[in-house]
Amino acid sequence: MSMFIVMFKEIIDNLRDRQTVFYALLFGPVLLPLLIGGSLVASFKQMTIDFDEVTTLSVVNANKAPTLIEFLYSKNIDTKEAPENVELSVREGESLVVLEISDDYAHALRNGTPAPLTLHVNNSDKDSTKAARRINAVLNVYEQTISSLRLQHRGIDPTTFDSLNIIQNDVSNEGANGQLLASILPFLFIMSMVMGGFYLAIDATAGERERQSLEPLLSLPLSRTSVVMGKYAATVCFVLLSSVLTAISIYTLFRFFPMEIMGGQVRFDGPSVTRAFLLASPLIPFISAMLITISAITRSTKQAQTYLGILMVIPMAPFFLLQFFNIRSSTASMPLPMLSQYQLLESAVLGDTIPWLHVVLSVTGTLIATAILLFVAAKLYQREKLLD
Amino acid sequence: MIIAKQLQRSFKRPGASRLKAKSEQYVHAVKSVSFSAQDGRITGLLGPNGAGKSTTLRMLATLIKPESGSATIDGHNVATDVLQVRNHLGFMPHNAGIYPRLTARENIHYYARLCGLDRKNSKQRTGELIEQLEMLTFADRRANGFSQGQKTKVALARALVHRPQTIMLDEPTNGLDVMATRGLREIIRNLAVQGHCILFSSHIMQEVAALCDHIAIITDGTVVMEDSLNGILQHTGQHDLEDAFVHATQSLSNEGIAGDNE
Repeated sequence: MSMFIVMFKEIIDNLRDRQTVFYALLFGPVLLPLLIGGSLVASFKQMTIDFDEVTTLSVVNANKAPTLIEFLYSKNIDTKEAPENVELSVREGESLVVLEISDDYAHALRNGTPAPLTLHVNNSDKDSTKAARRINAVLNVYEQTISSLRLQHRGIDPTTFDSLNIIQNDVSNEGANGQLLASILPFLFIMSMVMGGFYLAIDATAGERERQSLEPLLSLPLSRTSVVMGKYAATVCFVLLSSVLTAISIYTLFRFFPMEIMGGQVRFDGPSVTRAFLLASPLIPFISAMLITISAITRSTKQAQTYLGILMVIPMAPFFLLQFFNIRSSTASMPLPMLSQYQLLESAVLGDTIPWLHVVLSVTGTLIATAILLFVAAKLYQREKLLD
Repeated sequence: MIIAKQLQRSFKRPGASRLKAKSEQYVHAVKSVSFSAQDGRITGLLGPNGAGKSTTLRMLATLIKPESGSATIDGHNVATDVLQVRNHLGFMPHNAGIYPRLTARENIHYYARLCGLDRKNSKQRTGELIEQLEMLTFADRRANGFSQGQKTKVALARALVHRPQTIMLDEPTNGLDVMATRGLREIIRNLAVQGHCILFSSHIMQEVAALCDHIAIITDGTVVMEDSLNGILQHTGQHDLEDAFVHATQSLSNEGIAGDNE
């Protein structure tokens, strides 16, 4: 009973603290997904060219190559007259790229010699580079068409020049973009859980020592275990709230992201996000226990922030580990808290089937680790040194 | 009622090397504390800074365990009967230690609930204390900007919330102005008149002389003398408590030297 009284007091107390509320309700659930998801999508957009999108290309001497212009038009590229000073216009960013058709283009083409074309591009500008990649790709197709026509004209099979036929068969379920995006999801969940409980845990343990309000509290007729469990329960509430909000914001945010550029298979629809949240949920008690136990050792909020700051590496560790070493989900990795959730959450949004054994191992492993941490926290609160 | 017999407690010196002798590794904060505090009386625990007052009070409040000796609060042993002791004891440590983001009322209400009062009784008891300690003007403000006097009142109200028979106050007048000190003395006297046993620790002679019916002088972890103010003055042959205090503490160090010579 007294555990719940402590819990409610800590919740009310910390809801009045702007810093705690900011980190629990805004930073983890909203800002972090926006920042990370937003920048990822922006960079994907940079890499991906949409050939169906109609674009306009500035061309010098368009009248010298009517067939080429027609071909470009058929590939969704409209053309317009280039400005006076071509190089300046590209450098200043007025035109992304300019295609210059030389005066003897038509002549060279007729004679069967290489026909000179100049593509003016500004490689220090990402948009210009991207536009150039699209034009280059289209021009390559045009070149191949002309080449094979010439060969056929001379009675040679164009395939003679294709000595190798390389077929790349991508057997992964999803594109690389999707894989990266999927690995961001557990990262977002875990970070927002940590940030959600971070300041409450520090305030309720180290903060209470610092304010010297712990001494009168512990001289009341209640057990120290119910004090520490009340503080733990309050942390759990904040972490839970923070992770639910994160699930909602991930679901909402990814509505606005163009799915096709993420490589098909990765899904952030209702069922996938719910599945991911449920798989991550054993981390709620685990991370809360971790926060409470670490900050119970510390004497001041400053010390607690330092210790927990170092601890922040732990939620990030599996992320980098999985980026650098391709650790497969296995029964051996499943009992490990954090690592197993990273793997399971990735699978959840990639739509992979997850063996029940893995789920059971992950939940059990995480809960056992939680119990050990809580036992340590309770022991720490029995120490007389707590009041030093 | 508090009865302390031969309480003893030492602490490990921070950063002490294990290679040194045991006596050097440990600080004897409390060597031998014996005294009694009766109901309906204000007992003063008088001693300089570092004499062991706070450690003694912490042992009595069951926060730390004595290494040897024993103490009872209203008949309950502080080492074994922890919850009963806490039920009978209201303890106000020397720092108010109230929650700055809660109002005065919420601070008191929280302790009332933790002491096992139900919601209704907690509310009622909190209201009573707010009236009794004249806190109405600031009861519903957050404790953030409270003056020291206001903080002390909140802390005192929290210590009284479960109607304990025995009340221990660790240097309660620290940082209070004259008016606040007077007000607090009045409150403490009233509590004694109501039959509570009050233990009051202080290093200020005038304060103890003005307020206490019974005085225990503690120095260097030992209670050297315990009597009424008049008794102490007579016993030491001095005219005021300050001289008596110096006399009493010197007699201890003389004994100590004599002891070493033997």
